[in-house]
Amino acid sequence: MDKEFETRMIVISPSSSVTPDQVTRLVHSLGMEITVKETCYGAMIEGSKEDVHKALAAVRNLDPDRIFTKVRGFPIGDARRCRAHHGSRPGFTQLEKEWECLRLVDKGVTASACGEKVCEVPRPNKLPVKKLREIVDEVSK
Amino acid sequence: MKVFIVPPNSLILFDLVERYGHEPLSLMGAIHEKVINPEIESPPMNVTPEDVKKGLKYAGIEVPSGIRGRLALWGPLVDQADAAIIMDEAPFEFGCVGCHRTDEMVRYYIKKRKIPYIVVRYPNNESEAKVMVAKIKEFLEGLK
Repeated sequence: MDKEFETRMIVISPSSSVTPDQVTRLVHSLGMEITVKETCYGAMIEGSKEDVHKALAAVRNLDPDRIFTKVRGFPIGDARRCRAHHGSRPGFTQLEKEWECLRLVDKGVTASACGEKVCEVPRPNKLPVKKLREIVDEVSK
Repeated sequence: MKVFIVPPNSLILFDLVERYGHEPLSLMGAIHEKVINPEIESPPMNVTPEDVKKGLKYAGIEVPSGIRGRLALWGPLVDQADAAIIMDEAPFEFGCVGCHRTDEMVRYYIKKRKIPYIVVRYPNNESEAKVMVAKIKEFLEGLK
């Protein structure tokens, strides 16, 4: 396979109203030499780097703050990863976790684009051992 | 500029680095080079004995081969990096699960290289996410 090929995952934030079907249809309508696969989280696209980047720019326009993308190591349909070939899917827990978090991150991206001022709220400290001992003593009385 | 991300397979960090105009150095990119090579056939063989030897640059011989194998992929990325973003306090299923020691060694190596880096916390709510994105944006814009 050509090294200039790139495979990208397009992940739609849960808070977006864009559907994977819309993304797939848009990429098809661009008429580029790109392979597209619709997935539950968005789509995967594969082609020359130039075409993939052009397609990504078009896809991002659908909902700029709520469509995220990253490179994928394995090509689309690779027998070592594709579920149709009973491939293993070791990256799925990571993707699932990040997909859940995207509904928060997209708010951050929007706030950042609007120039909203943010201030850091300190997290509560961990429970000290002394306090835990007091609770245990109280409960076990 | 080339920005290394920790965890190196993170969608959020990869996207944010690219969104704010830099080139993310990710594990997926390194893996892509490996898996399109026709000489390497199956996933367990993605890391070759040569890679484990390369890992010796980043970890001593007494370090388990699994760590050296991982560092053989991650280490050259840190070498290329002009800056780094580290996500901290993340849940266990976030990032490359399975080898915390590799993660620690990569963090050590980033600090040792003395490149600019930022540590952000994994967001648990909307205001923390806003802070995280604002910090990353400020850091990346400062690199220009």
